[in-house]
Amino acid sequence: MAKERAQNLIKQLHDAVVKMDEEASAQLSKTILAEGIDANRAITEGLTAAMSKVGELYTNQEYWVPELLLCSDALYAALDILKPEVKVEEADIKGQIVLGVVEGDMHDIGKNLVKVMLDAAGWTVHDLGRDVQLERFVEEQQRTNADIVALSALMTTSMLAMPKVIQMMKARDPNVAVMVGGAPLTREIASSYGADGYAKTAVDAVAEAVKLLKPREIK
Amino acid sequence: MKPDRTTSRERIDALLAGRTTDHVPLYPFMLGFCTKNVGYPLATAYSDPQKSFAAQLWTQEQYGFDWGPIYGYASYGTWEFGGQVKMPEGGYEQAPSHVSFPVQTEEDIDRLSLPDVKTAGFLPLAMEFSRLQAEHGTAITLVLGSSFTIAGNMCPVEILYRWMLRKPELVHRLLRLATAHIIDTVKYWADIFGAEQVIPQIWEPLANNDIISPKQFEHFILPYLQESSASILGTGIKHIFYHICGQQNLNLPYWSQVSMGNPGICSVGSEIEIGTAIKHLGDKAIIAGNIAPHILLTGRPQQVYDLCKNAIEAGKKAPRGFMLMSGCETPPDTPPYNIYMMRKAIDDSDCY
Repeated sequence: MAKERAQNLIKQLHDAVVKMDEEASAQLSKTILAEGIDANRAITEGLTAAMSKVGELYTNQEYWVPELLLCSDALYAALDILKPEVKVEEADIKGQIVLGVVEGDMHDIGKNLVKVMLDAAGWTVHDLGRDVQLERFVEEQQRTNADIVALSALMTTSMLAMPKVIQMMKARDPNVAVMVGGAPLTREIASSYGADGYAKTAVDAVAEAVKLLKPREIK
Repeated sequence: MKPDRTTSRERIDALLAGRTTDHVPLYPFMLGFCTKNVGYPLATAYSDPQKSFAAQLWTQEQYGFDWGPIYGYASYGTWEFGGQVKMPEGGYEQAPSHVSFPVQTEEDIDRLSLPDVKTAGFLPLAMEFSRLQAEHGTAITLVLGSSFTIAGNMCPVEILYRWMLRKPELVHRLLRLATAHIIDTVKYWADIFGAEQVIPQIWEPLANNDIISPKQFEHFILPYLQESSASILGTGIKHIFYHICGQQNLNLPYWSQVSMGNPGICSVGSEIEIGTAIKHLGDKAIIAGNIAPHILLTGRPQQVYDLCKNAIEAGKKAPRGFMLMSGCETPPDTPPYNIYMMRKAIDDSDCY
């Protein structure tokens, strides 16, 4: 009975995120904790699965960015309640990633959506924000020992900062993977810049990050 | 360059009048490239009408561009409604960007009022620029955003997109103000220069189908485009230039329902094939486009040349005419030889 109840609540949490219901998502998270259901399980089976579904709906052009934003609000309403209750040894952490929009570029909606998808998938995200000075990416990677650095740009002009960050990063530690994304980028340009990975959309970013992490040891 | 048989002005006049031109006109969408080209700081493209105009005019002469200097940027609306923008600086910025928005909360909308078109934000600079356009006999191209893009510059786009689903009435209030502002501004320009001389440019970068759905376009954008177009054409203005920026293939059936003048002008990004633009808009508008800015910036000259030749070939089928143009603003650091490739592709095309 308790098992069914837990499954049912997690399913409701999943649906609240997919249906963009922030209030329900927060309330269900409180109920889940109050009933002693494992927070980590609620996150992986409820929230991660929900954002995976949301990504699918976006890819299939049933959801668009406005819907993704409201789903992310519902996601964070739940994560804010559940995450502090996850025991460190149980956390399903995929890896660490430093994320930011490069210097000269104020457009961060794409980067924010990448953060949402990574957060939901269990990554530890160090978000530097937008218009980030190039050396800040290197410093933050050094500070956190993150596995991946992800760079975003919307403008063709700011895109030109990416090869410089990649060069600086590789000079310091050639083992750190760098992935890039943003409207003017293509896989060809990413490759010419020396990036290890490229994601066309926020939804693709998680799969690309996992791919980059695979050959490495999860820290 | 192959010698021209007509002047640039004659070529553009012929295109707008529906007559044959001696070759495909080349439209320069490259403010920052021009200022850098003549040794001015990038910011002067937007902050200094005199230098911006001179830089574009000189670069026009150098490369044989057909359309004259233009003046504007995509973040239009923030400053005019009471927010702040900053001019581009450093090595990686391209155009003015937001510093603070006039609207962050629902209550902020109550405090908004229609800007005075004679004094608000960028408009005095734009007026100074248009006086130079008039003085030099080039087209007076007042650049504005669409109602939706202006609304997205009045408040952060993430708020706007959320309100579209949660509080659509707030979005409509912003759209109504933006539409009234567009109409006010265009009427002011028409009063000063004469309606027949003014070709408003309406840029629409925020309606990208990677972001919003065609249904959202139909609900939030189309009615305001139709309203502003009708009012603009009602002043006696003959042509409206729409820049349909980015991935908007799914919106094209709606764009075809917008009046643009006779003919209108529609520029499209590399995400929209010229043939597709002609199919939806070719009967009512001159089609311009669609050379990818990132290819201009990073591509080899031959790649740029081939893209341009293909675009010109496709553009031949446009019943109201075609202009070769970058799909969005040409990056300031574009290799100059790639710009020459655009002109060379025109010279090498046996179009007319």
